[in-house]
Amino acid sequence: VSGERQAAEFRRSRTVLCLCHDVTEADIADAVAEGFTDPETIKRYTAAFMGPCQGKWCARLVLDAIARHTGVPADKLRQPTTRPPVVPVRLGALAGGRRELS
Amino acid sequence: MAIPGATAGDPPTSCDAVIIGAGVQGLALAFELAERGMTDVVVLDARFPGSGASGRNGELIRSAFASIPWIRLFDRSLRLWHDLSARLDYNVLFVGRGYTVIASTDEEMTSWGEVLSRQAAYGLRTRRVSSDEIAELVRGINTDLAVGGLHQADGGFAHHDAVVWGYARAAARAGVAIHPYTTVLDVLVEGDRARGVVTDRGTISAPIVVNAAGAQSREVAALAGVELPVRRCRLEAMVTESLMPFMDTAISAIGIHSYAHQTSRGEFVGGTELEQPDPSNSLRGTQPLLFDMAHKFSLLIPRLAGVRMVRHWAGLVSQTEDMGPVLGRVPEVEGLFLTCGWLYGFMAAPAAGDQLAETIVTGRESDLIAPFGIERLRAGELVTETSLIHRPDQARAATGDATGE
Repeated sequence: VSGERQAAEFRRSRTVLCLCHDVTEADIADAVAEGFTDPETIKRYTAAFMGPCQGKWCARLVLDAIARHTGVPADKLRQPTTRPPVVPVRLGALAGGRRELS
Repeated sequence: MAIPGATAGDPPTSCDAVIIGAGVQGLALAFELAERGMTDVVVLDARFPGSGASGRNGELIRSAFASIPWIRLFDRSLRLWHDLSARLDYNVLFVGRGYTVIASTDEEMTSWGEVLSRQAAYGLRTRRVSSDEIAELVRGINTDLAVGGLHQADGGFAHHDAVVWGYARAAARAGVAIHPYTTVLDVLVEGDRARGVVTDRGTISAPIVVNAAGAQSREVAALAGVELPVRRCRLEAMVTESLMPFMDTAISAIGIHSYAHQTSRGEFVGGTELEQPDPSNSLRGTQPLLFDMAHKFSLLIPRLAGVRMVRHWAGLVSQTEDMGPVLGRVPEVEGLFLTCGWLYGFMAAPAAGDQLAETIVTGRESDLIAPFGIERLRAGELVTETSLIHRPDQARAATGDATGE
């Protein structure tokens, strides 16, 4: 039995949900066990949803994992607000090549 | 529950003190009250702890200000920051590798001579730095916009969410009850005494009520019949993708209204401001600030022009006419206390909690918070502080705020 549990823990620790910040299934389980139970606070604790993909790759997977570990159905969990820019943009491009201060 | 330390149970019907707002101010105060033996304390928040400005600020920490009232309060805080992880038994990821205030013009640099003498007289670890020294502290900085500066060796930054969680856990462990998702509907005042609060989860009687409600502090004060002379304004910040470490020090460039640091993960995090404050009730980032941040940071540190912005967000503050906090008792309502009006509230929270707790427990107002009482704003006796990134608010603060979105 303990061998099976070890194998399951190993799989959870190697199952990466957020590719930007390497957040695993085990990280979500640990966050919930610690007492972080809201997608907003799990976002702040693990940095999931906040990498260069801004949740476009990971949101569904992370919300499903939060649902598995909290018992709250995924469709009852609010996905954290997506912030601009939609895709990462170089500061120089946003600055428009301006060389002067004003 | 939302975060460790928050409770899922019902709020009690009475306690010794109710704190409205589970941001860094309210939680630091709760922890410091518990440290002094007052543990029957309830902290309420309409959302989850740290959901307001405490989780949206620039995270910077210094005591290198220009005026004595600011230096005294913030230097008490800086001392506390250095031991905070140990006191809370929680790593708040404080990094004390320096804070550099950058002058962008020779006039600005000259004006700081007197400030440096005052800081030295108070015992701050600040020194004048040349543009060459700044180029070592911030590799690749454009020295045309950094002609000199002032470096505080033991300033720095900390992780704002970890600070909220650290205070919440330590306070909860000492017996404080933290109730998220609980909205205060009324503050009870009988005659000249605070009596408690009415919430959407029941009434709580308490002889001490503290308004630590951040952007909502004006509305909360109004529930107690107190007019708080603050205006709600929006601030914006951004974060880039991670890059190789190139600056250990936190920075601000007063002349171009900018501040930033590089996190332990390598991201460049910073914010800028336009010439006028932005009265608003919206948490959306705006296009003018997006462009302003990109423009100023890629001019100040040209290597950033090739680095991608990942995220841009906004937060709300309640600001006063002199940009200082409103801290301490409300003279006409016994038992009602304020820790509001913060623009530099994250870095000041350890001292504000410590000194306000001392004031509440002993009944004697602390010298460090006395200059920041509500009476100064009512009398128009403002505290002049010249080293702030924020622009003086030209309109009178008490005129209320825009409706926002």
